[in-house]
Amino acid sequence: MLSYALIGGIMYGLYFGLVGMGLNLIFGVMRIINLAHGDFIMLGAFLTYWLYYLFGFNPLIVIPISIFVFLVFGFLMYYIFVPKLLHSKDPEMLSFILFFGVSQVIEAIIILFFGNNQISVPSTIFAKLFKVSTFTLFGNTFPISWLVVSIVCIATFAVIYVYFFHTKLGYATRAIMANRHEALVSGIDVNKVSAIAFGVGIAAASLAGVMGFFMIGAAFPSMGTDLTTISFTIIVLGALGNPLGTVIGGLIYGVAIMLMQTYFSSWTNVLPYLLLIFVILIKPEGLLGKAVRNV
Amino acid sequence: MRKFSALIVFLFLFVVGFSGIAMSKEAPKYIKVGTLYASSGPFAKPSTAEFKGLNFWVHYVNSKGGVYVKAFHKRIPVKLVAYDDQSSTATATTLYNQLITQDHVDMLVADFGSVLTSVAVPLAKVHKILLFDVTGTGSKFFTPDNPYIVLCSLPTSGRWPYTLADFIISEKINRIAIVYSSNDFDQSQAVTLHNKLKKAGVDIVYYHAVPSNTSNYSIILHNIKAKNPNAVIEFGYPNNDIAFLQNLESSGLKFNMVFTVFPGQLFKLLKANVGVKALSYGYTYPTPPLLRYNKVNLGMGIDKFEKEFKKYSGKTPNFLNIAGYNAGLIMQKTLETSKKFDQLAFRKAINEFSGKAFTLDGLFKVNKEGAQIGEMLPVAQFVPQGQGLKMNIVYPPSMKTAKAVYPAP
Repeated sequence: MLSYALIGGIMYGLYFGLVGMGLNLIFGVMRIINLAHGDFIMLGAFLTYWLYYLFGFNPLIVIPISIFVFLVFGFLMYYIFVPKLLHSKDPEMLSFILFFGVSQVIEAIIILFFGNNQISVPSTIFAKLFKVSTFTLFGNTFPISWLVVSIVCIATFAVIYVYFFHTKLGYATRAIMANRHEALVSGIDVNKVSAIAFGVGIAAASLAGVMGFFMIGAAFPSMGTDLTTISFTIIVLGALGNPLGTVIGGLIYGVAIMLMQTYFSSWTNVLPYLLLIFVILIKPEGLLGKAVRNV
Repeated sequence: MRKFSALIVFLFLFVVGFSGIAMSKEAPKYIKVGTLYASSGPFAKPSTAEFKGLNFWVHYVNSKGGVYVKAFHKRIPVKLVAYDDQSSTATATTLYNQLITQDHVDMLVADFGSVLTSVAVPLAKVHKILLFDVTGTGSKFFTPDNPYIVLCSLPTSGRWPYTLADFIISEKINRIAIVYSSNDFDQSQAVTLHNKLKKAGVDIVYYHAVPSNTSNYSIILHNIKAKNPNAVIEFGYPNNDIAFLQNLESSGLKFNMVFTVFPGQLFKLLKANVGVKALSYGYTYPTPPLLRYNKVNLGMGIDKFEKEFKKYSGKTPNFLNIAGYNAGLIMQKTLETSKKFDQLAFRKAINEFSGKAFTLDGLFKVNKEGAQIGEMLPVAQFVPQGQGLKMNIVYPPSMKTAKAVYPAP
């Protein structure tokens, strides 16, 4: 049971690394907190659902569509909201309020058009595609969908790593993360780079929505709030402001959940938040983080 | 002069006081029914469905000129005052209070389920207004010192698994796993089932609670499988049931018997989310409209209701639409039979027709605490039929339509 919980927890944690990635990327680059983060995950899930039911698209086909749609959406959204926020006296606090409003609007629009129902794509869709329903790892059997989701997550982390460390755009993004004003002085087009990072953050969130059906069950309009809270926990656990540190936060969260489900199932929700309190007290910047801000 | 002034004051007070008494006997222009619904949040789907059922009742009685109120010997139209609590108990507390103290509603109807009803129960008691509890089946709501609550649909949750326990015992299924969400509704079912089965000598090999927002049961299912049970019983809310059944199907694990709560209440929703295969050979508590009650003495039978509701909303009703309508019927009967227009008289009237009223939801019978004891939840099994599913009632014998397919193929 322990090995199952650990291996399952790692796969579950990879997914939650993806869930928190976009939020941390946006925070790292712009120092704003996107409280509508979970709602973009929900939008990704709804897009997947509708493309599946209207055109029969497999979620793997939806991935590039979702990335493109939300990258463009996030890019445009940056120019609508963020520059004004960053010029305010307290962008972090204002971002809380603004994106809370965005979150409410997204939820209301989805309810208006699609109702309150839970929605799902068939949980066996990958099993039908690959003609195999489960796979075995170290003697433990898991659904094939977990393997697919894990591969998608690892691929996403790899792309983000390459983007950060092997592209000019990534260097510029890291420069802005280190110091926005110095980046501006050194000639970086801060707004353009930030807009792209914002788009990537939203696209990463939508990708978590596309894959969500196989890890967190049905999607519904009000799921965003819980997911934002979980994402926030994960990025604080990993490294506030360091997107790749999110993977560590996700893994800790996933393994903690699975261990608790195995041994103390009714206390499942408590451990991640106890860890959060512990990390905040011992290392407020997160396990892998630098001191990115004064708390 | 002083005596004259005193006389004037006395006469004034007398006239005002007397007219006050006279006015209190006057029939109101409307019967104000106050309720809450949730347009968002985890209870939005069932809550809005229930609210729609109540709205249908209001629409239907008003189309007949209103509800007959015995205390005033006349028909009076019903006015529904409703607010959106967004599935939040904090918001619901404020809004229930507003319905009672600001809107002065004549009849108070709770929002869906135990969570959103729980905050209404103490408020109704304090303000001495009878709470028409639609589906809040938490057993702690019903106490001997509180006459201000009556459960309209479904038995209290602690009674739900009575027939399920009997079925398991009669089938000689001797190794049971029970996983339940940690809320009053599911916990009380789990406790009842656990105690009844233990008493009958059934081995409970797995008995654990999970948080109500659990959305992944993969590890739990694996842990259950390690205990090798003959039957797995999952008590949860719709989100839990969906996740549980999806995870079960994708895990490739098989059990001889799997029971979940909501396929019998929200069949379409569950079928849309988990598919026919995941529900095949699964067990549930069937409720109307899966149970067809047409021989009724209060309101419409299920066939007529389905027709009228479809005309009204364009949709086929589900159980929660029926529960909302049923709450309306109980209020209607209360007003039709209560000799006085006050809250305790309403309760007294309910006690008098309790056990005699049969609606499309079954027999309405409440105990002294106001808890529903008339309705019984049989055990049903879904079996494949063509591309879809057929529901067979497998227990109790008096309602049985087919023998259970056990173990599941």
